[in-house]
Amino acid sequence: MLPQRMKKAITENPKKHANLIELVNLPSTLREFMGQSQTSRLGCFMRVWSYIKANNLQDPNNKNVVNCDDKLKSILLGKHQVELAELPSLIKLHFPKQPK
Amino acid sequence: MGKLPPSLRSAKFPITLLKNPPSIPPQLPQSPPPTIQHPHIPKKIPKKLKSSNTQSRNPPSITFNSPNLSEAKTLFNSLTKSSKSPPLDIKFCNSLLQSFSSISTLQDSISLVNHFVKTQPTFSPDRSTYHILLNQSCKLPNPSLSYVHQILNYMTTHNCPPNKDSIDIAVRALCSSGREEDAVELVKEFCHKNLPPDSYTYNFLIKQLCKNRTMSTVDNFIKEMKEFSDLKPDLVTHTIMIDNVCNGKNLREATRLLGVLIEEGFKPDCYVYNTIMKGYCMLSQGGEILGVYKKMQKEGVKPDLVTYNILIFGLSKSGRVKEARKFLDVMVEMGHFPDAVTYTSLMNGMCRQGDPLGALALLEEMDAKGCSPNSCTYNTLLHGLCKSRLLEKGIELYGVMKDGGMKLETGSYGTFVRALCRNGRIAEAYEVFDHAVESKSLTEVAAYSTLESTLKWLKNAKEHGLAAQQKNETDQGGAVSFLVLP
Repeated sequence: MLPQRMKKAITENPKKHANLIELVNLPSTLREFMGQSQTSRLGCFMRVWSYIKANNLQDPNNKNVVNCDDKLKSILLGKHQVELAELPSLIKLHFPKQPK
Repeated sequence: MGKLPPSLRSAKFPITLLKNPPSIPPQLPQSPPPTIQHPHIPKKIPKKLKSSNTQSRNPPSITFNSPNLSEAKTLFNSLTKSSKSPPLDIKFCNSLLQSFSSISTLQDSISLVNHFVKTQPTFSPDRSTYHILLNQSCKLPNPSLSYVHQILNYMTTHNCPPNKDSIDIAVRALCSSGREEDAVELVKEFCHKNLPPDSYTYNFLIKQLCKNRTMSTVDNFIKEMKEFSDLKPDLVTHTIMIDNVCNGKNLREATRLLGVLIEEGFKPDCYVYNTIMKGYCMLSQGGEILGVYKKMQKEGVKPDLVTYNILIFGLSKSGRVKEARKFLDVMVEMGHFPDAVTYTSLMNGMCRQGDPLGALALLEEMDAKGCSPNSCTYNTLLHGLCKSRLLEKGIELYGVMKDGGMKLETGSYGTFVRALCRNGRIAEAYEVFDHAVESKSLTEVAAYSTLESTLKWLKNAKEHGLAAQQKNETDQGGAVSFLVLP
């Protein structure tokens, strides 16, 4: 049971997560925020999330909400406030599916 | 969600331990699985101890970072000059060589040995020195056995002809590089030189062949060994083969092999029965598990701790928690003390029956009896509590886990994150994500993809008015939403 499961996980994962860790050339808005010209979707998320934590941008009254500063606003559709729940999908907008 | 929470995978002693999955916490206080407990392992342990001892006994430990030979020589020379104490002893030289050989080429390693001999008049290579070279030669990517032969010849010409230990080292090294065919080839060569492997090497190789090659390869090997030497399958070999078919859930074949074993004049022991019982566990056939247990009693084979652990695990898994619970008392009567594995199996059974509070009570019971829970136990409970919508208790438990430095397992992490998100506690889910990544419980990719897909699902659910709306700080920890995850 276990070996098969592991095999399955190993064989499935590369495809499943390929678009998470694939390095992508960034659009100029994101490039400025990230300070680099290439990154993966996962790397971008980690960067944004640690930026939020480092700058205490979570709303003190409701931690589920982020009050964007100007820098963050520039990459999150110019919103003043975003919910943490929508953060991944907002970041995903910068990483459109590559037509094959 | 799968039927078997991952937290239990590591609690399921027999097989998982053999493969040393990363999820096994080091403190797991359990007896080794049946096949490992056979006397063929103790032999390897002294070897391992020896090498680790030599390294730890020699602070500061030196490790080579560059495969460059001349740099290694320079480093060695500086060591010999700087130490005012008596010349470096052979163990230290060997550990240096060991370190260097892990990154260098074979030729450079040999040159380094020669350099030792030249510069250190007291040093003369011993068997371990050659075995380090042999080990390296087996691990080098080379389609033929030429490097291995080179070292074996080198040993012979230096008055240290290969012995059974050398075969064992070579076979293990070759198998660890996935070169089972070459290992078989080498063993056969040695047989022709009238140096057959010992039964430990023989059984090790059979185990590797069972695991990674076809059955016909195994049968061939057994047949050839009968021809070339007087090695025949012993009880351990039979157990390995039964274990192999049990892992493939082929219990019919296992029963047949049991018959063969008895025909050949062996009496099945506790390990054999444990292995078969474990096979039935995989199929969740509670009745059959009990059947094996009864047969053991009939045949007068004394069950050990592992037997009871398998029994309780299997019965819990088959949904017969009450019976499993009874065996907790039976095993104490028989003089075996339930360990963390026993309790975790039982807790898992209770959680699956929707009784995580009973499992929590069992946690207290085990603590009171002086048996400390491990990270598996906590992961099982966390999973069970979240599944039964007892999120507050789950968060409490998570706090204990975090303070205790315990890792989260993939399954319980997922369940916990989903439960938090479902209740609108996104920030806490992010915190759990951070902890999972920081504690290296999961890879960033795995942890993030779970979080992302949960949030995606949450968005869909909200659109359909299914999930709890975002909560404000004021009513945090309030009502529980009743919603079934896909």
